[in-house]
Amino acid sequence: MRTTTISDLTRPSLPKGVRLQLDSTTGKSVLLFPEGVIELNETANEILSRCDGRTLAEIIAALAEEYDIDGEALAFDVRETVTDLHRRKLIELT
Amino acid sequence: MTVPRPYALLAEITYRCPLHCPYCSNPADYGGATASVADPEAASRSADSTTALMTAHNRANTGELTTDEWKRVIHEAAALGVLQVGFSGGEPLARRDLEELIRAAREAKLYTNLITSGIGLADHRVRVMRDAGLDSIQLSFQSDESSLADEIAGTRAHESKLEVAAKIRAAGIPLSLNFVIHRHNIDRLPQMIELTEALDAERVELANAQFYGWAFRNRAALLPTCEQVDRAREIATAAKARLAGKIDIFYVLPDYYETRPKPCLNGWGQRYLTVNPNGDVLPCPTASSAIPDLHFENVRARALDWIWRESESFNRFRGIEWMPEPCRSCPQKEIDFGGCRCQAALLTGNAANTDPVCEFSPNRVVVDAALREVNSPSDPPADWNYRTNPPVP
Repeated sequence: MRTTTISDLTRPSLPKGVRLQLDSTTGKSVLLFPEGVIELNETANEILSRCDGRTLAEIIAALAEEYDIDGEALAFDVRETVTDLHRRKLIELT
Repeated sequence: MTVPRPYALLAEITYRCPLHCPYCSNPADYGGATASVADPEAASRSADSTTALMTAHNRANTGELTTDEWKRVIHEAAALGVLQVGFSGGEPLARRDLEELIRAAREAKLYTNLITSGIGLADHRVRVMRDAGLDSIQLSFQSDESSLADEIAGTRAHESKLEVAAKIRAAGIPLSLNFVIHRHNIDRLPQMIELTEALDAERVELANAQFYGWAFRNRAALLPTCEQVDRAREIATAAKARLAGKIDIFYVLPDYYETRPKPCLNGWGQRYLTVNPNGDVLPCPTASSAIPDLHFENVRARALDWIWRESESFNRFRGIEWMPEPCRSCPQKEIDFGGCRCQAALLTGNAANTDPVCEFSPNRVVVDAALREVNSPSDPPADWNYRTNPPVP
């Protein structure tokens, strides 16, 4: 699976021209980019709001601790979401 | 009916433009029928004018919203739920207050996109706009090289656009290119894609001309042949695969060659609104010229919220209740929304008809006749008329 190709040491970030913002109409987070808007699900929002220079492993650990959930299932979800956003050029991996 | 919230505002801040592209979607008469009725100065002038055409021009040109009026529109749009604003025109750089409007849009937390020809964009202005919070620029090109590009633009423009693209990249602003495709440049798609790569743009739109405004008037000169369209589709598909993950390529077919209509605007009054230079609020930028019997409200007279929710112009084709057959009983009706109201009006004389691009439309013959005309080997392509500017009164 492609999701296994992302390294734990990758630092996901928002590319230039992509903005994470609260949509005051719905109270939910949205990603804004040229000519487009995506309403984020909870997983994507929790990940993206932690894309502040941390590595993928650190983001997973932070979420596991905060929500007291199983690390392995969480890691799978996070990787899947990051892969999807990366494919749509809405997240950068460095 | 529940009224949805809008996502995007197209702010057409002026109709003035240094280019004369024959495919411009601006109204070919500058909205004579829809110019602001709330401009008393223009109204009194119109009474003295010698010709109806001049009246329309004068009203359109002198009726531009002021900086403060645009700021109010931007804030009202944000309050209504809008998340993105595109500054367009005409050429938006022709307004000296563009930077101020970008700043106002960012203060209202809007994602700001500038849709421009780039003509006359100096280094310092790029930086001022970036610092004002501009999120992204869409730069138009007419072709990949000067001789054809300048012929299409009706002025020397191509070389300076190349410089502008470099300035935008140097300022670190995300860059999209936009090529309007038609009979005279469609064979250069590979070179246009090469130019996109060379200019380090992140995104390119290769959009066939849509036939409204000036483009409708020049359709016989602009509509590509069937053979050209087939080849372009192959090239675009291959380039998309080759550049996946690097450059986003959006290829838009000329809808006359489709058998089902485009889901225009994702439905009338569902996601988008346009405010034109005079302050008229339109469900779609071409509606004022294509559907003259619909009265459009003006931001000088009404709050944007009221216009979006309550006005006749936004409610006339909202939802599916207005649909006649064959749309009414069609399983596609909530997928394509019956296509484009402007196209129905322009080609059938009634905006409520099924978009005649649809194979189930009783008016499909009108589209087929236009296709036969351009695909007939005996007829040489027609000449075009260049877009002209509203004259300064």
